[in-house]
Amino acid sequence: MDIVSGLAHGFQVALSAQNLLMCVIGVVLGTVIGVLPGLGPPATIAMLLPLTFKLDPTGSMIMLAGIYYGAKYGGSTTSILLNVPGESSSVVTCIDGYKMAMKGRAGPALGMAAIASFIAGTFGVVALMLVAPPLANFALAFSAPEYFALMVLGLAMVVLLSGDSLVKALLAMLVGLWIASMGTDLFTATSRFTFDRVELLGGIDFVIVAIGVFAVGEVLGNMEPAKPAEMLPVPKGLRNLMPTWDDMKRCRFAFLNGSVIGFLIGVLPGAGSTIASFISYGIEKAVSKHPEEFGEGAIEGVAAPEGSNNAETGGALVPLLTLGIPGSGTTAILLAALVLWGFKPGPLFIQDSPELFWGLVASMYIGNVLLLVLNLPLVAVFAQLLKLPAYAMYPLILGVSIVGVYTSASSMFQLWLLAAFGLLGYLMRKLDYPTAPLVLGLVLGDAMEKALRQSLMMSQGSLSILLRPIPTALLAIAALLLLVPLVRKFNAYRVRVVEREVG
Amino acid sequence: MPFRHIAAASIAALALAAPAAADWKPTKPVEVIVHTGPGGGSDVLARAVAQMMEKEKLLPVRMQVINKPGGNGAVAAAALYEKKDDPHTIGFITSVWIAGPLTSSEAKITLKDLKPIAGLLLEPAVFAVRADSPFKSLKQFIDAAKAHPGELKQSGGSVTSRDNIVRLQLQHATGAKWAYVSFQGGGERLAALLGGHVDIMVIEPQEAGEQVRAGKLRVLAQLTEKRLPGYADVPTLREAGFDVTPTRQIRGVVAPPQQPDDATKYWEGRFEALRKTESWKKYIHDNQLEELFMPGAEMKKAIADIENQLREQYQLAGIKTVR
Repeated sequence: MDIVSGLAHGFQVALSAQNLLMCVIGVVLGTVIGVLPGLGPPATIAMLLPLTFKLDPTGSMIMLAGIYYGAKYGGSTTSILLNVPGESSSVVTCIDGYKMAMKGRAGPALGMAAIASFIAGTFGVVALMLVAPPLANFALAFSAPEYFALMVLGLAMVVLLSGDSLVKALLAMLVGLWIASMGTDLFTATSRFTFDRVELLGGIDFVIVAIGVFAVGEVLGNMEPAKPAEMLPVPKGLRNLMPTWDDMKRCRFAFLNGSVIGFLIGVLPGAGSTIASFISYGIEKAVSKHPEEFGEGAIEGVAAPEGSNNAETGGALVPLLTLGIPGSGTTAILLAALVLWGFKPGPLFIQDSPELFWGLVASMYIGNVLLLVLNLPLVAVFAQLLKLPAYAMYPLILGVSIVGVYTSASSMFQLWLLAAFGLLGYLMRKLDYPTAPLVLGLVLGDAMEKALRQSLMMSQGSLSILLRPIPTALLAIAALLLLVPLVRKFNAYRVRVVEREVG
Repeated sequence: MPFRHIAAASIAALALAAPAAADWKPTKPVEVIVHTGPGGGSDVLARAVAQMMEKEKLLPVRMQVINKPGGNGAVAAAALYEKKDDPHTIGFITSVWIAGPLTSSEAKITLKDLKPIAGLLLEPAVFAVRADSPFKSLKQFIDAAKAHPGELKQSGGSVTSRDNIVRLQLQHATGAKWAYVSFQGGGERLAALLGGHVDIMVIEPQEAGEQVRAGKLRVLAQLTEKRLPGYADVPTLREAGFDVTPTRQIRGVVAPPQQPDDATKYWEGRFEALRKTESWKKYIHDNQLEELFMPGAEMKKAIADIENQLREQYQLAGIKTVR
């Protein structure tokens, strides 16, 4: 079936009253769980799975996928308004999104998140439809050395995430790497840093660290009487909540960057949307004409990662639908769902089940439009949250964080960890350590270590395996990134000297 | 579409299966503890079983899945242990619960501290290579590994997993040597094989089937006790000429340690009834599993056997065991 007739058939399927309803249910539900921290798409989809046995599989898939990409829209709202990542992929959005909100620009930040999500999400679907089969092969060409180099490149982004002091950023990143190394080692079955606690055998959940450091730390920081929290008034009306034309122009590159990076990283099994959002944020800052604004509320710092994590959805569906390979937790559950409904995910899936594939693709176009229409007016509704006084706001954030962590693991130990990381986040804030590098180290550290050890197992211990073309290129870019601060310093020095000579 | 055309048959099965009424019956929703997060293997099985129990009207109450992830089953085992004599709690186990505690001293509660209810099924596996691979049989692969020690590669999970154990057993039996590369997820292992970065892998039959049909993979041998219906012309390890007994990958149900005997008996009876339903048979068939029902006492022995086999292999391979 060629693309035109396939898509036409797909829209026929997706626009049936029943499937349209499933799509609406999916995206609304997705937005809601996206807004709630802790409760993510994997848990929600797993809980709904038994219900879908009685329903039509195409409609069910449309709904479950709607939850998957709808959550990515919702995740940004919590990041921007509460500095709590609603989804782990919205961690980066906290950095500039929350700063914008603090400066009274919550509206444009929320609007931009929805617009960037729409543009990149739609790009992801188009790309999924057009280039799925060849891209699936591109993903297969990526082996351990390539992944290792990609993760090193990701870690090099720390240079761009650091505030005033690179040393402090590197220290924070090392703590992240240390936490990433906790738990049972995959290669030797040895326990590392488990302190004889059974709960630490599986390592520490990323969500707990992120919520602790960002949300609880922020609440603690704002409790101090010396620094009363000031909640700026939110402008009323949809018009004032929209990004300006200037904002849109500033984000032109961010839309492209987020779309392409998000989709490509999505295609790679195991990388995931959090890594995608970090990398596109880093690229955005690296090419920016005013990198000093990042971390202080740059709107591109919202557009790039939010676009990226939405384009990732389209990318992640490529290996799932064309190879039967799930690259992430959520796609693994979608795979289980397809098997339970009696489908056979694998290389022949699209050919065997055109109705489901094209119906899903068409529904994702519709779903992205629905989400944009839904989220732009809802921006105003969610923005009302900011008007809450501190005594209502902070207990609410704490409550939402605690419930979120408890739902994902139902264990008290995890709540103590949350408290510990909240304290850590507070201390880091007090001592002026940036928190993003810690999270970056935690996200990438584990994958980087595994990839390096896998490479060396493949080459029987020889480092020359890292000199293949793709890893070499990626490592070279990483090295260049690390040199950026030196060049900037030199430039500033040169400017000072010139000014002195002229003056 | 599963579970749709089978209502009539299953009612008949139910009538046949109804055992003599036990003294105890659940009076409130039953909690089913699993060691994976939502969507993991045990979670999916537990939810499917809950669905089938409801569909086949085998239980007067609902089954509610509780996720206790962490520590390769150790967190879930501890949660079950804390339930002491609760008749309304059961747990789904897998061979990971046996393998995990062998290498981690952190796990204080093991399967020995819990009460077995029933073994449900075995998860079979097959050896697969890429379709364009030069190896047409497992023997050809092993011969090549003998000729070029350490150069061929197998992708798999943790070193303690069955994938690696069968490699160790084959290496031990034949003197061949090949490398083992661990990956966290099944998707990554398959991608490494399809991308040509490794030469062979141990894979679930259902997953392999689709790749074979698409002409991407070839199956060389099956790690099963007898041939699976879906792979009638593929030899088992023994039939392929290797004197190796693969580790059983078991899935079953256990109870808290002091659960009253009549309750445990009731659960054993329910799972025995489930096993006779069409829903269960279809589930086993669709997922290409090996049906193997074991009453509690038999399951206890099977677990002890698996544990001894794993310990022996770990020690041979130099993996540190703690109990």
